[in-house]
Amino acid sequence: MTTAVTATDAAPLTLTDVRKTYLARGREPFEAVKGMSMDIRPGELIALLGPSGCGKTTTLRMIAGLETVTSGAIAIGDRQVQDLPPGKRDIGVGFESYALYPPLNVRENLAYGLKARRVRGAARQVDQLAARLEMSDLLDQRPASLSSGQKQRVALARALIRNPRVLLLDEPLSHLDAAQRQRVRRELKVLQREFGYTTIVVTHDQLEALSLADRMAVMNAGVIEQFGTPDEIYDDPANMFVADFVGEPKINLFEGTAVRRSGGTVVRAGRDGRLAAYAPAATDGQAVTVGLRPQDARPAHDDEPALAARVVVYEDFMEFGLATLEVPGVDGRIVAQLPHGVRWRRGETRRIAARPDRVYLFDTETGTRIR
Amino acid sequence: MAREMMPGRRRFTAGSVGADLLILLWFVFSLFPIVWMVLLALKTRSQQTSTYFAFSPTLENFGTVMSRRGEDLTSVNFSGALLSSVLNCGGAVLVSLLIGIPAAYAAGRWKYRGSEDLMFQMLSFRFAPELMVVVPLFVIYNQTGLFDTTYGMIWVLQLVTMPLVVWILRSYFQDLSPELEQAALLDGYTRRRAFVMVALPLVRPGIAAAALLAFIFAWNNYVFPLILTDSEATTVTVAVTKFLGGGGQAYYNLTAAAALIGALPPLVLALTIQRYLVRGLSFGAVKA
Ligand SMILES: Nc1ncnc2c1ncn2[C@@H]1O[C@H](COP(=O)(O)OP(=O)(O)OP(=O)(O)O)[C@@H](O)[C@H]1O
Ligand SMILES: [Mg+2]
Repeated sequence: MTTAVTATDAAPLTLTDVRKTYLARGREPFEAVKGMSMDIRPGELIALLGPSGCGKTTTLRMIAGLETVTSGAIAIGDRQVQDLPPGKRDIGVGFESYALYPPLNVRENLAYGLKARRVRGAARQVDQLAARLEMSDLLDQRPASLSSGQKQRVALARALIRNPRVLLLDEPLSHLDAAQRQRVRRELKVLQREFGYTTIVVTHDQLEALSLADRMAVMNAGVIEQFGTPDEIYDDPANMFVADFVGEPKINLFEGTAVRRSGGTVVRAGRDGRLAAYAPAATDGQAVTVGLRPQDARPAHDDEPALAARVVVYEDFMEFGLATLEVPGVDGRIVAQLPHGVRWRRGETRRIAARPDRVYLFDTETGTRIR
Repeated sequence: MAREMMPGRRRFTAGSVGADLLILLWFVFSLFPIVWMVLLALKTRSQQTSTYFAFSPTLENFGTVMSRRGEDLTSVNFSGALLSSVLNCGGAVLVSLLIGIPAAYAAGRWKYRGSEDLMFQMLSFRFAPELMVVVPLFVIYNQTGLFDTTYGMIWVLQLVTMPLVVWILRSYFQDLSPELEQAALLDGYTRRRAFVMVALPLVRPGIAAAALLAFIFAWNNYVFPLILTDSEATTVTVAVTKFLGGGGQAYYNLTAAAALIGALPPLVLALTIQRYLVRGLSFGAVKA
């Protein structure tokens, strides 16, 4: 056992086709996780992002050993852990509810995790970690007297104190207010880099995921829709779900028809709208769903294919403006984010376009990307 | 209407005075039988049927009840019955805690086939009239030698104490975040140690409340000791009535004194752990 505060051996974490079926009485068996596979490198910070109920917590709990694995394998380093009890997996978990023991003060709470293993020098280790996390002044307080931000830090410290090989955090920032959230998010990233733990953070906040993670897994209904770097997820979404789920303001999705031409692909949308798209795999005349991020829409030049649209609302946010547009023949409205200084007025008709590689085409039936 | 409530100062309005008067009236009304009993316990035998409030009080009755003299009068060993009650009820509560705490933990933590039915089944012991089961029990007890024994009473009082303990404590365990124990599991504690070291200390107020309630219910039980005991293991509830005597030998003053003594142990217990009791009776809520 080392007494150093930094991780000595961050481990790779591998999930292979992990599944979880909940069997509840009087209900159909429910498959909450449907074959997850992930290769996580040592020291990597992974975000699990997805809507409520998609199986993020279930996945985390299976890795920690708090939930049985219905099938599949989980390995930490070269050790298969899926059948080991939680205490033998060498995993630190930051619980959403903090899981701090009310009758004990912070110092005792931190030492608690070391007591079970009869670690020598526990007191010094607690002091060191507390100093490192800048919470030495909290050590003698009871959990009840801490703010939620402080509880969050103590919960994190409690997960770190045993120097685990893998760190799992379930919605670590969900109880914090917006300002605290930003601060703790940055702290978390700095600490993770410094300690070097292989880490999974569960979140349903895309901003958190995009800003924290080395790579992120976007989950939906028990499957990983896409696993990649934040840039890949944002710039190159694998399907309609990912494109729709990640991005603020939300991506515009509307029906269109692909038209193949010698110069590339153009999609027709609405009565006479056209957009150039980069999608060699599209077939001529194919019905598609077009995805266009508000950030990618821009005022069109005179000589390029464009969508002509009537301005319904223009909102000025100082750094940028948001125009809500109506394109004749297109269901729903289209939002375009315009640079500072471009002011469109309600009722005007304007033309918008985008770089062809930023116009995404999706199979309307399956939602998969056509590229 | 924004009416300011100043701490330490009250507004006297017609409404609030009227409400206070009503409460006072209710208080007098509900305490009256107890006052009557106390007065009766302080009277001599010749005064026991008089309704005068003016009399010369005596503590003699308490001595008579507790001593052999009371036994000579009514052939009931009241001090022995008091001890039996303590043993029966204490034993019954102890057994219920020993078995009921793990049971409540399991019932609060895990759902399994039939778990709800099982819990309801247990609660239904409290609904069923005791008289329904006591006659067959009488036959069984007579044949197995459990009749008029402390073991027998502890055994049958489980019908009273066990459902209380399990139901109260289950709600306590349910209120406890399972993540506390899970954190301990991750630290390398075994399930059992996580239960003993993490969950158990946090439900101490619940255990105190459940134990006390169970004790009081067991103490007040009348039907089981009436039918299933005779002299060895008989309890205060049965013994008190013996002072009413048979054949015109009613000692109302002794009955009152005995009843007062009999009411004392649960009262003292309740007062000593009152702090826990208030929280305990609100069924849970042990948040940090
Ligand atoms: N013990 C259980 N028994 C039955 N179904 C469960 C159980 N735990 C979770 N589920 C179901 O499994 C699905 C996934 O749950 P999970 O808690 O993993 O979601 P999540 O992605 O963490 O959601 P959230 O963002 O709301 O925390 C949900 O539909 C949930 O209802
Ligand atoms: Mg969750």
